[in-house]
Amino acid sequence: MKKRNWYLTFGSVLTACMLVFIALGFFWTPYDPGALSARDKLAEPSLQHLFGCDQLGRDVFSRTLNGAGNTLIIALAVLAVGFVFGLLIGALCGYYGGAVDATVMRVCDAITAFPSILLAMVVIAIIGPGTYNIIAALGILFIPSFARLVRGEFIKYRSRDFVHSARLAGVPAMRIIFVHILPNTWPVLLSGLTIGFNNAVLSEASMSFLGIGVGPADASLGRMLSEGQSSLFSAPWCTLFPALVVILLVLGVGMVGEGIRERIR
Amino acid sequence: MSEPVFELRDLSSFYGKGKNRLRYLKNINLSLRQGEVLGLVGESGSGKSTLAKCLLGMVTDTEGYLKVNDPRPQMVFQDPYGSLNPAKTIGWILEEPLRAIDIKDKAERRRRVLEMIALVGLEEKHLTRRPSQLSGGQRQRVAIAAALIQGSKFIILDEPVSALDVTLQAQILQLLVDLKERLGLSYLFISHDLSVVYQICDRVAVLYHGEMVDQGDVDQVYDHPASDYTKRLLEASLALD
Repeated sequence: MKKRNWYLTFGSVLTACMLVFIALGFFWTPYDPGALSARDKLAEPSLQHLFGCDQLGRDVFSRTLNGAGNTLIIALAVLAVGFVFGLLIGALCGYYGGAVDATVMRVCDAITAFPSILLAMVVIAIIGPGTYNIIAALGILFIPSFARLVRGEFIKYRSRDFVHSARLAGVPAMRIIFVHILPNTWPVLLSGLTIGFNNAVLSEASMSFLGIGVGPADASLGRMLSEGQSSLFSAPWCTLFPALVVILLVLGVGMVGEGIRERIR
Repeated sequence: MSEPVFELRDLSSFYGKGKNRLRYLKNINLSLRQGEVLGLVGESGSGKSTLAKCLLGMVTDTEGYLKVNDPRPQMVFQDPYGSLNPAKTIGWILEEPLRAIDIKDKAERRRRVLEMIALVGLEEKHLTRRPSQLSGGQRQRVAIAAALIQGSKFIILDEPVSALDVTLQAQILQLLVDLKERLGLSYLFISHDLSVVYQICDRVAVLYHGEMVDQGDVDQVYDHPASDYTKRLLEASLALD
């Protein structure tokens, strides 16, 4: 009778495969991802170099593993910053409402009104490039969307009878917010997290593509796309494989999110 | 005579600020004696819930005299689907009011929870379930248990049986009467169902647009309603029966 949730099943499998692939890169790569080799310049995919080599003769497979790891770490860190602060702001604004809520939400509107990449570029221009700065810049940009999501949930629940009951029983407000209401919002937050994760991966890739992401020595999926575009037609493997990793990772996580939303309904 | 559970003299309540400040309740005089069940009847918007909120301290913009002699009056809500936290187990829901009054000893909380669920006719196995795994009647029993577990003697029942079907209504009403006798409770019973009020209440007060139009013993009000509104309410409910 119960319809099988294909999004969740397939998405979880795909995400798990990608995570295993990326996790592998933390422990083992066939070659040093930064090692140059003039002899293998733009070498085609072969048994020695599964994904071929780039214009500096670096092994694309090793760099993809390594770059995907960097991209994942940055995306998760961005997500963590946006989620933690978004959760705190959204929960307090949603539960209490009033003038502070209205003010904070207008600030969030103002941040959201700018294209996020443009705003991140401005922030980077001010505080300078670097991995931690990227995380800070993107993290701040992710706060409003989470805050709005959490706030909406808290507005929905704050007038429920079980919250009134808790208040009548003398439960402190902070406990009502984080112990009584928050667990009810997890399904929605989880699906919001998957969307946020995808946006974070794509934002990091975009920033690195534009050359304001990770430092020149580090690999990142966005940076590889940027470096490979000059040889897009002569050596498509330089861009194809990192792009494929971005696509599959985002697709898998996106399907998990869709699956969670389907389950809530 | 012992002091009343609550007493209102000339109570008015307001909503909004400045020019938009509206008077919702108009000069209400009402009291509840200990061990009594007082029915509060009226259509939606008549001020029943506002009156309950005044008694619970949730509406503070009031004029007149208001005294509630229970330190922590509790309320049982109409919809047992909304009044229990869907993310928690029944055991947790019943323990939480005890944690709120600083009963730190886990064994003591457990003992009081077990005692209470037995009183409302549930079993230990229900404690590990979530509200969605219980029937409507069972949920309302849990809601009643949660309202009683802190030891409050004054309970406001906000349409506690109107979301249930007729057989369950009778069971829950019987449970409420039993608990009242056993624990020495007093009820303010809010309802729009006059036949339910007749079954359970000693006295009844009728609200209409924030004014009290009728008040007295149930028999007296039902046989000799003082206002046209009460007459119409009674006729409408008779027509349905």
